[in-house]
Amino acid sequence: MKTMRMCYSVVLSMLVAFVLASTPVSAKEKVKVGFIGPLTGGTSSNGIGGRNSADLAVRLHNANPNGKYEYELVVLDDECKPDKGVQAATKLGADKGVIAAATHYCSAVAIATVDTYHKFGLPVIVWGAVLPDITYGNNYKEIHRVNGTMINQNETAAKFMTGLGYKTWAVIHDTTDYGKGHNKYFSEYVTKNGGKILGTFGVTADQQDFTAELTKIKSLDPDVVYFGGLTPIGVRIRAQMDKLGLKSQFEGTSGIVSEAFIQGTGPLAEGVVAFREGAYPEKLPGGKYFLEQYAKQNYADGPEAYGAFSFAAMTLILDTIEKTGPDRKKVRKALDKVKGQDSIIGEITFDDHGQNTVALISKYVVQDGKWTLWEESEYAAGTRKLMRR
Amino acid sequence: MKRTLPEFGVLLPGIAGLIVLTVYLALLLQVESQTEIAALLVIAVVAALAATRFGVMPRIGRSFREFEGPFSLAIACAVLVMVAYFHEDHFILLLIATVIIYIIVTLGLNIQFGFVGMLNFAGAAFFGVGCYTAAVLTKNTPLPHLLILVIGGLMAAFIGSLLILPVLRTRGHYSAVITIAFGLLFKIFLEVNDVLGGPQGLHVDGMNVLGWEFNKNIEIGDDLEISFYVNYIIVGLLVLGLSFTLVRRLERSWIGLNLDAIRLDETAAACFGLNLIRWKVTAFTVGNFLIGMAGALYAMMVGFIAPTNFTFGDSLIMVSIVLLGGIGNPWGLVVATIILVIVPEKLQAIQEYRFLLFATMVMLMLLFRPEGLLPRPLRTYFPAWKPR
Amino acid sequence: MDIGLLGQYIMNGLMLGMMYALVAVGFTLFFGVLDVINFSHGDVLTVGAFTGLATSLGLTALGISSAPLVVVIVFLSAIVCMSALGAFIARYLVLPLKSAPALNTLLLTLMLGIVLHEAVRLFYPQGANPQRFPSLLSTEAYSFGHFTLRVDSALLLLAGLAVIIGVHLLINKTKLGLAIRAVAQDEETAKLMGINFTLIVLVTFAIGSGLAAFAGIMHGLYYSEINFGMGLLLGVIGFSAAIVGGLGNIYGAIIGGFLFAALQTIGALALPFASAYKDVFAFGVVILIMAWRPTGLISEKVSERV
Repeated sequence: MKTMRMCYSVVLSMLVAFVLASTPVSAKEKVKVGFIGPLTGGTSSNGIGGRNSADLAVRLHNANPNGKYEYELVVLDDECKPDKGVQAATKLGADKGVIAAATHYCSAVAIATVDTYHKFGLPVIVWGAVLPDITYGNNYKEIHRVNGTMINQNETAAKFMTGLGYKTWAVIHDTTDYGKGHNKYFSEYVTKNGGKILGTFGVTADQQDFTAELTKIKSLDPDVVYFGGLTPIGVRIRAQMDKLGLKSQFEGTSGIVSEAFIQGTGPLAEGVVAFREGAYPEKLPGGKYFLEQYAKQNYADGPEAYGAFSFAAMTLILDTIEKTGPDRKKVRKALDKVKGQDSIIGEITFDDHGQNTVALISKYVVQDGKWTLWEESEYAAGTRKLMRR
Repeated sequence: MKRTLPEFGVLLPGIAGLIVLTVYLALLLQVESQTEIAALLVIAVVAALAATRFGVMPRIGRSFREFEGPFSLAIACAVLVMVAYFHEDHFILLLIATVIIYIIVTLGLNIQFGFVGMLNFAGAAFFGVGCYTAAVLTKNTPLPHLLILVIGGLMAAFIGSLLILPVLRTRGHYSAVITIAFGLLFKIFLEVNDVLGGPQGLHVDGMNVLGWEFNKNIEIGDDLEISFYVNYIIVGLLVLGLSFTLVRRLERSWIGLNLDAIRLDETAAACFGLNLIRWKVTAFTVGNFLIGMAGALYAMMVGFIAPTNFTFGDSLIMVSIVLLGGIGNPWGLVVATIILVIVPEKLQAIQEYRFLLFATMVMLMLLFRPEGLLPRPLRTYFPAWKPR
Repeated sequence: MDIGLLGQYIMNGLMLGMMYALVAVGFTLFFGVLDVINFSHGDVLTVGAFTGLATSLGLTALGISSAPLVVVIVFLSAIVCMSALGAFIARYLVLPLKSAPALNTLLLTLMLGIVLHEAVRLFYPQGANPQRFPSLLSTEAYSFGHFTLRVDSALLLLAGLAVIIGVHLLINKTKLGLAIRAVAQDEETAKLMGINFTLIVLVTFAIGSGLAAFAGIMHGLYYSEINFGMGLLLGVIGFSAAIVGGLGNIYGAIIGGFLFAALQTIGALALPFASAYKDVFAFGVVILIMAWRPTGLISEKVSERV
């Protein structure tokens, strides 16, 4: 009998707690939208900037009295690791309340998750990953992207660097699809423009010691060390180049355009060049508006290089939901048809793979601890000089 | 008639316990508000303490022990009832499936740790062998997918046998380092090896048995849609049932006796003529087989695997489950797995801190209750036989 | 091969080997006195490095900028703090489990390691990101052909060597060292001879953890960067080195450390395929060595007592 009494009391107390705790109150219908990006790990500054920007879009929409729905942003962390990204994507996809999402800064993660979104029929807009295959490697209608791909980026990079007179390169890339993609497109374009690749080195994303690879590169003596990868190992390679007295120019990709790279390398960042699709935030059509609104919310960290894209992606999602109602299929169909939609990053037009066409590539160089547009830098003016120039 | 009444008395606490647990788990899986979840967890802890205090726990334990067969079936049925209840809730079903797969893994580790006393700090690596086998085979061969599960297990057992020689030649700490080194080596190897996808990882096809697509939702009529995870839960339950029976049988057989003898004192066991090498190899291989099989199923379910799934930290979590549950007791593993898999997923607030909390929990456990949540009971050969 | 390049590789290898050896000596000391593996050792190193970083940032905030002074204070603070932490671990976590199965101690320290580095990740400001470690030593460099010798690297190498010689002298020439050796050889007899067992264990843990802190700062100064996960691999490599050398033997640990670094460097240099396989190669060789000499290169001289 004692047993039974115990059981009863346990069940009862649980029920009481259950009833007490569930008291819903809401005026507008609540709609959940998702955001996934790297919130921890070496690329987290970009992820947090993206998160804040998406959050800003949601806040602005919720503040609008004419909006039909009240939006709730579900934020998940992909740690810039493919498997964690798939877990997060599964979580979003499996939650039927989530209607659409802005997802992924890291290409390695984004390419891994496309199947998952397709499986669950969750429409997403990629806000930072640049690997072409994310949109072009499949026919999934769920996947869209507001930023450009690495093809244009590397084409510009190769033309620009050969134009400066550099002749020989050594390539270090991480062995995810992101690094491999950069290696492929950059090597292709640089040879086309008359440059020469002396050696190519694949490294893992959490490698600590690069002295062996860099010592080899030192014996090859290239004009430029091209690095296709993300901030954390970019920082290590730049620092260890200095340790070994390797005096080649350091050239990166959009993966190192972040405050974290400059903080991590300190004075060694000076004169590092990198390339990114899209314009400098202040130069964007709606850049000023975006930066003003962002500043008003008092986020602890800045929007970083891809914040504007994240904001544009989330705004596009919310606008679409307002039009179609909270239904995944309808939202997906509406997104597929987006043409000439006005946004802070300019007009958004998705082609039949869901890819926005952004032709503009910005060239950056670090000057006095800041990513500066090449055209406005003292390097372009000739008052400062890159390595080996 | 005389015998049925006391038997019913023994049976009752078990049935009640099972029902309460099922309802509780269903509640825990269903609620979403963080305060409700926290309240439920507090209730569970209080209830468990109270139950122990008032002697309910041993009674439940007794009815489980004495009617283990029927209760195992009843538990499987309870899981199915829960699955039916949540039939279209992908995420909850994914959690249930993950728990089932992790139980299979820890059963394998239990044979190695709990029975023969071999340290294996490369659990995640053998799990990964199973995963990668499934990924490669589903992509490149037309082999039936159920067979691939078995091959995944065999591959893990085979890779494990490469370690047999150094593991057998060394003892204690020294053999621990071999499994640790292997675990790290495996992850680094995957990361640098391009053929297996490198750090990018691999896509794995969903399971397909006799034309039945596991990755498609089951649609019955117009408005009843059953999540595709149900497929995996059913296969997982079958595999789990087989593994569980195997482990139980093994434990009760003379093989289990031999394994225990070796764990307790190698030298003495050898003196009594037990072949140490034979039994260690058996336990290590069977354990890895189970882990590998679970890995293959997991890979097909989640559809994507990468080296970072199989880190040293993951191996440690597997070991902690075995230790928390009570080394050597398969039922303890079930409880510990449920706690370690479900709680951090549900309680978002601790998700960030989960490693910290688990590690602290295990440390406290080791310091104050080293025998685990449900310590392994004495071997009983006759139901209802009480050692005096 | 170019002699300058060869020199560069040797220099890289020596730096790595020095760090591994310092970590390995800690493992081997712990094992000597208490027959336990302290797997939190690698993460003690991490915490040590972060203590050093915090100290240097604090000093900068206080306006103390004299480089030699900062270096000394950074090293001292990290070593003192970690010695205390090591003694604490021994007193409250390892000693209470002295009579429990070895597996329990192993697990306890593994978990402690997780607690330590997770604490750094969660509670150090921006702890999840790699942190820049300031260059406190002279960054002057001398080039000889392809060989570049940086003053800071050379200083670190010399300091490491001095520490290892210091440990050697401490163990072999002092009364404390004698006591440590006595405890390592036979606990019961040592107690009978009037040696304070607990004290010696605590001191040994303090020394080992201090060495880890030293290695952590060295790591920070050499790579100019530290992160919360750096201790895991360093710990496992240090442990492997200690095991390969033979647990309980300091010289074995030192040899093991340099051997592992040599394997990695050779792996990167001589393997025909990607240099990325160097760690796979190194760990593979460790497993082979274990199969060949199950108790390490310099084995313990004990027979089993039943």
